[in-house]
Amino acid sequence: MIQALVSSIVLIILAPFIGGLLCGIDRKLTARMQNRIGPPILQPFYDVLKLWGKQPMISSSLQPVLASSYFLFSVVALALLVFRQDLLLAIFTMALADVSLVLGSFSARSPYSYIGGRRELLQILSYEPILILTAVGFYLLIKSFVIENLFKAGITPIAYLPGFFLALLLVLPIEARKSPFDISASHHAHQEIVRGVFTEFSGFNLALIELGHWVKLIFFLSILALFFTPNLILGSFIAFIAFFASMLIDNIFARLTWKSMLKITWSVGLALILVNIALLLHLGV
Amino acid sequence: MSAQPLATSLIVLPVILAIISAFSYNKALRYAVVYSTFILLTLISAWLLTYGPFTLTYPPSADLLVTILDFLLLFYFLYIGFIRKHVLVILLTLLQIAPLAYFEAIAHEIHVSPTIIVDYLSITMCLIICVIGSLICVYALSYMEEHEEHLHLKKTRQPRFFFYMILFLGAMNGVVLSNNVYWLYFFWEVTTLCCYQLIRHDETEQAEKNALLALWMGLIGGVAFVVAMFVGLLELNTLAIFDILRAHPSIFSALFLALLSLAAFTKSAQVPFHSWLLGAMIAPTPVSALLHSSTMVKAGVYLILRIAPGLRLLTPLSYAVASVGALSFLTTSILAISQRESKRILAYSTIGNLGLIILCAGINTPLTLLAAMLLLVFHAMSKGLLFLGAGIVENRVLTRNIEDWEGLLMKYPLTTTIMLIGMAMMFLPPFGMLLGKWLAIEAVASSPISAAISFVIILVIGGAATTLFWSKWMAHMLCHPPTLKQLKVEKLPIPYIVSTFSITALDIIFSALAAIIVAALALPALKPWYSIGLSLPLLNILLSVGSFVTWPLMAALALVLIIAWAIAKSKKGIVAPPYLCGEHIEQDPYSFTTTADKPIRFDVANIFFDKSLGEPRLNKIITAIGVLLLILVFSAVV
Repeated sequence: MIQALVSSIVLIILAPFIGGLLCGIDRKLTARMQNRIGPPILQPFYDVLKLWGKQPMISSSLQPVLASSYFLFSVVALALLVFRQDLLLAIFTMALADVSLVLGSFSARSPYSYIGGRRELLQILSYEPILILTAVGFYLLIKSFVIENLFKAGITPIAYLPGFFLALLLVLPIEARKSPFDISASHHAHQEIVRGVFTEFSGFNLALIELGHWVKLIFFLSILALFFTPNLILGSFIAFIAFFASMLIDNIFARLTWKSMLKITWSVGLALILVNIALLLHLGV
Repeated sequence: MSAQPLATSLIVLPVILAIISAFSYNKALRYAVVYSTFILLTLISAWLLTYGPFTLTYPPSADLLVTILDFLLLFYFLYIGFIRKHVLVILLTLLQIAPLAYFEAIAHEIHVSPTIIVDYLSITMCLIICVIGSLICVYALSYMEEHEEHLHLKKTRQPRFFFYMILFLGAMNGVVLSNNVYWLYFFWEVTTLCCYQLIRHDETEQAEKNALLALWMGLIGGVAFVVAMFVGLLELNTLAIFDILRAHPSIFSALFLALLSLAAFTKSAQVPFHSWLLGAMIAPTPVSALLHSSTMVKAGVYLILRIAPGLRLLTPLSYAVASVGALSFLTTSILAISQRESKRILAYSTIGNLGLIILCAGINTPLTLLAAMLLLVFHAMSKGLLFLGAGIVENRVLTRNIEDWEGLLMKYPLTTTIMLIGMAMMFLPPFGMLLGKWLAIEAVASSPISAAISFVIILVIGGAATTLFWSKWMAHMLCHPPTLKQLKVEKLPIPYIVSTFSITALDIIFSALAAIIVAALALPALKPWYSIGLSLPLLNILLSVGSFVTWPLMAALALVLIIAWAIAKSKKGIVAPPYLCGEHIEQDPYSFTTTADKPIRFDVANIFFDKSLGEPRLNKIITAIGVLLLILVFSAVV
């Protein structure tokens, strides 16, 4: 009991570090693919530490509250997941974090962060239904939204919910902010939207946003890993592979427009889920 | 015995106060009447809550009084139809007068025992009507003063306005207390009258037109009631709703319930009757807050919740009702994205949320009914608050176009904060509406019907649209150029402060204590008909299929505020203009210079998709589907 509690808390504390490390490896590998040497793997941490101590350039007085809301609610959402609470509630809590970021980006009157915020809303519109339907998919399988019961049921969801898993892989690039769906913000600051949603955040606030992004990434990868319960180690391994695969795709594909993003996620993503549901109902699981 | 003054005072006291306010040309008197309405009704409804459920039978003379008043009312509608030369109003009124006269001629007994049944559903509704409703009347004191100032009226129309507002409270209490369908029908028609009069209050051409639209659509509900009464009296031998709910299901009880559902759809502005509610937005904003969001439109929802135990025995009909709600929720949530006018967004969102409640009631499992109850309570508070905020803003910026509300937080920090809180409470955790939506998804998913998953998908898609239109509206109000100036909090008149602060506080407190609403109102309301398995450990909500941890989330929210405050204190930043890819102009934060040193003005604009969503075209299609679904409802009777 206490051991489980301690390991859960350790996992939550470690989450941003794992997320940061993933981003560091990502940058290194991307650089190698482009025949560059690339930054050290720990570079994301150096960046955040540097930002942490910087004096913020405030272009909107609301940024501190909205940046910390983004970070903290990402952590709360992850905590709900780690403590095996209600999956649907965890997803709604993550939506609260997302909305905080959007509000933060709109709050500065800058064309670049404003357009980033608009596009971020469309990204939410693209992946939110798929995430929520995933929670419903788990319900269909184990007759409960509580993750604890998934472990009790002793079922490996991937065997029954492959369509849901594929739909989540489809929206993974949105969560990881990667091409073809990095339309609201890009890692590379040479696009027409500058840094999109992040443009107006700076200093400590930007550090919080970066940390929040890492936590969010781990949140999403954890949901992927849940498909392989009870073997969470295998699940995490596959989730990491999925992340690096999205990096590969990032380097191959150009960015799409938001229209294509909406079309693809809503048509292909929902179709995958619907076919999966139809099969589940047909087989009477 | 003490039940009689209690029930009677809930209906009669507002009528008396309304009559006094009809003669209150003096400002002090008007304030006194409205504030005492608020205090008295709040006290009486609190008394009702502590008194608990009871039944009451009025003598047949009271039935006679209701009959006479009802005919007077119908003839008044007929009169309106003639002077406005509106064929539909005349026709729909005659369709009620003639059958009712025949009804009297064959000397049918309309007496029912008991006349009034108070259960926790009625108590919940009464609390909403008496507390939220009368707070909106308080708000109207300031609003109507500002409103008439803008209109430059020679003679004030406020006495008439407050007469109908307060009369409406009494009529609404009558609707939710009556067991006799005839009584229910009468009070229902009084609310239709108040609705008509309050929409046309400003007496502009458009207002008269929209009021007539609301009237004839409302009268369809009246006709449905009259037919239902015939079915009840001739085939089911009773006019008592509770007896019909307990009766063995038959084709006639199904027809009766279908007719009541039709009346409910007209009142709650469900598709295909949604156009009247959008037109009704022309009324002064307190009317929209009171009638068109927090109470009157809830009469329809109330009726569906009331007959839900009967519908449960007739599953095809119940699911047909659910599908009308589902269509309304889905389409209006999407259409709301395309709207630029503040009150139209609120109206679409209201229709959507009422649809959501009807969907839940139609699915008709214990858990969906619980979700419906929570949505009912929290929607009344949150949406009422949003209308109040929108009204204050409108009287100051003199526009309803939300594109012009850019950076409103800087100009009117207090009002805007109230609006922002109201919006957050509509769709974000850990607040009440989100709790309701969360419960709705889990409850519908866990319902035994085979089409459950299609209803869930509708909930998810509609919910995603909801997130989009609320967030973009909130975001636009925050958008402002950087500034060092301390925000100057605007001064608001006391009635504004009293009403908006109270409702905000109630909404936040009961979001945190949602378990208390569940335990004290929702569960007792459902208990006679449904058995619900859930527990409330430490005031969190634990179902057999899920759990909503209110308190950890509330604690996180508090922590965010504390940390943000600490950061703002400790990390003093430099105020910096946004990145513009050019040179800033000191005096003008809305422009920048680039090549050739020519200043370029830049704007930020929100997304609406009004071209691709195409409201007028889409509305035709939606109405057509709505009519088909109504046919489905009635074909489910057989």
